[in-house]
Amino acid sequence: MVNVIYRGVTKRYDNGFMAVDNLDLEIDDGEFLVLLGPSGCGKSTTLRMLAGLEEVTQGDVLIGGARVNDLPPGARGIGMVFQSYALYPHMTIADNLSFGLRMMKGDERPDDDDIRWRVGETADLLGITAELEKKPKQLSGGQRQRVALGRALIKRPRVLLMDEPLSNLDAELRQQMRIEIRRLHDELGMTTVYVTHDQIEAMTLADRIAVLNEGALQQHGAPMDVYRNPANPFIEGFLCAHLDDIVETANDLFGGEEE
Amino acid sequence: MSSMDPIPRASKSDLARRWYVPQEIQSLRAYYPVVIFVASLSVVISIMRGNEDAIYSSMCIVFVHLVLLLLLRQLDHGTKNIRDGIFVISGIGLFLSILHHLDGPGLWIDIWFTTWMAVPFLLVPVAGSMPMVTLWVSGRLTVKAAELGLRMNRVMAEKHSHALHHLVLLHAVTIVALPLLWILDVAVSPGNSLGGGFMDEVTGEHFEKLVSSESFWLWTRNSFIVSIGTTLLGLALAIPAGYAFSRFRFRGRDPAMFAFLLVQMFPGVIILVPYFLVMKALGLLNTSLGLILAYSVTALPLCVWMLKGFFDTVPRELEEAALVDGCSQTQVFWRIVLPLSLPAVAVTALFSFLAAWNEFLLALTFNTSEEMYTLPVGLASLISSTGQAWGDFAAASLLVSLPVVILFIAFQRFLIEGLSAGGVKG
Repeated sequence: MVNVIYRGVTKRYDNGFMAVDNLDLEIDDGEFLVLLGPSGCGKSTTLRMLAGLEEVTQGDVLIGGARVNDLPPGARGIGMVFQSYALYPHMTIADNLSFGLRMMKGDERPDDDDIRWRVGETADLLGITAELEKKPKQLSGGQRQRVALGRALIKRPRVLLMDEPLSNLDAELRQQMRIEIRRLHDELGMTTVYVTHDQIEAMTLADRIAVLNEGALQQHGAPMDVYRNPANPFIEGFLCAHLDDIVETANDLFGGEEE
Repeated sequence: MSSMDPIPRASKSDLARRWYVPQEIQSLRAYYPVVIFVASLSVVISIMRGNEDAIYSSMCIVFVHLVLLLLLRQLDHGTKNIRDGIFVISGIGLFLSILHHLDGPGLWIDIWFTTWMAVPFLLVPVAGSMPMVTLWVSGRLTVKAAELGLRMNRVMAEKHSHALHHLVLLHAVTIVALPLLWILDVAVSPGNSLGGGFMDEVTGEHFEKLVSSESFWLWTRNSFIVSIGTTLLGLALAIPAGYAFSRFRFRGRDPAMFAFLLVQMFPGVIILVPYFLVMKALGLLNTSLGLILAYSVTALPLCVWMLKGFFDTVPRELEEAALVDGCSQTQVFWRIVLPLSLPAVAVTALFSFLAAWNEFLLALTFNTSEEMYTLPVGLASLISSTGQAWGDFAAASLLVSLPVVILFIAFQRFLIEGLSAGGVKG
């Protein structure tokens, strides 16, 4: 597996908006990193630059020590899960899963038997074997989410990218999928970058969280370390105060019953 | 509170009685303006025909309808005398309607007018004597009855609106179908007369004559070459253009899109002469290629806008997912965007085909030799040159519409999807 390095990465849009400002960040091999921040803080842009969907204005993005700034998304060895799932509506689930394999170039492209085997394996892993012949429209939100995950995993990516993958699910499914995603990461062990604005999601999933605000990295570290030692007032307000609020509400709710 | 408590009834405050108006009366009040509109139309027609008796009788009828509407509005709980007045006035109206009909020439359109004017005079008394309405106007409605009435109203409202919808649709169908039936009648009548009873004599002579004539098949061939050529060329130009307009921001994008619309703002005759000069210079007069070029250019703006609109609805994340899956920009278009846009492409294709198939003016101007005629031009020549062959003309019109009908039936599913764009969701 591989590590990911942002070295002085800056993203400035054509209209002059500075989305990401001189970001230095290293993600270790096999690490689960969560990019956390309010909307518009540049976390999605950071992820999309790693995916190759957004051009880097300045600085370098490295995957496994190689500079990938100019590589097209398909050549970077990544898998990505989108917020809206972005399943191909005109293809069956099996075709959705195998699309990435079928699009591989030259020697890398597995033969048809191999593709079929890997589709089966991935479907098993995510518990969607019964849905393979269906179209995305016929699936529930949770199932679509699994297919989107499967489509990202089937190519055995070196880095897995997730852009708010759970925000379209209801509370119970979100909890389920959170556990599932962490399980998959521990099982498969690939480097994972996960974008969210949900503090709880970040705290429960991450090996390390990196908090962004207004395009700048505020603090990064193990979740509990960041919570215990907030580096600045923004972190205190956005992360610590929010979590304390939740704890307080829970205590108010259930504290009374115990007496 | 235990669950065994009776539900407090709204009737305690007499709400049901205050809110209840029989649906029959409500529907009549709502739809009566249409009756008055049609009756006024009848006045206008009578004036245009200069038929004085009919003018007076129809004006009286409009007046009576107005009085009736006014009384219907006044009708309320315990207003029995107004209801009785309505009965009397309806009777007068019915009598006037019969007089009016006798004054007119008695064509099918007069029958239609009379029906519209007289039927309400029958409907109003019938509605007025319904048991619930009678109870209501006599003021003897109990709370229970009012509640029952409200419940019945809900069922009746649906029935009434169904009836009205069907009435409107029936009118639309008639307007569409009458000319078709007429042309069918002309096509199967012997000789070249336009009159005569409907389907009194049936013959296939006009169809036989057409099918055995060489020029008809020649024109058909020309029409197919031009229409299919236009469709293919139009799509080949419009699909990439629509995609580019939808996805890429480039210099001159907005002016270009506006320029496309600008061309559509002028009547086609304006470009006729310049087109002719261009075609002459290129040596494309009396060729199918010339028409194909001209039609593609004219159809292009609408096709591009239609396709752009549909491409806009294909989520960008889908394309990004395909990029991550290893597609190049071109592959994203061919494998993801285009398959998803097939309905829109089908609609656009059909549109180009129809425009080319039906076009008359350019074809008439550019292709003057008879063996290069398209079907519409050929049809027109049937009327002018061979002494108005109406029978042949009608038969040919039916044959010419046939491919279009077949296309519409074949593409129906796509058409509905394509016209209600935006149905693409992961």
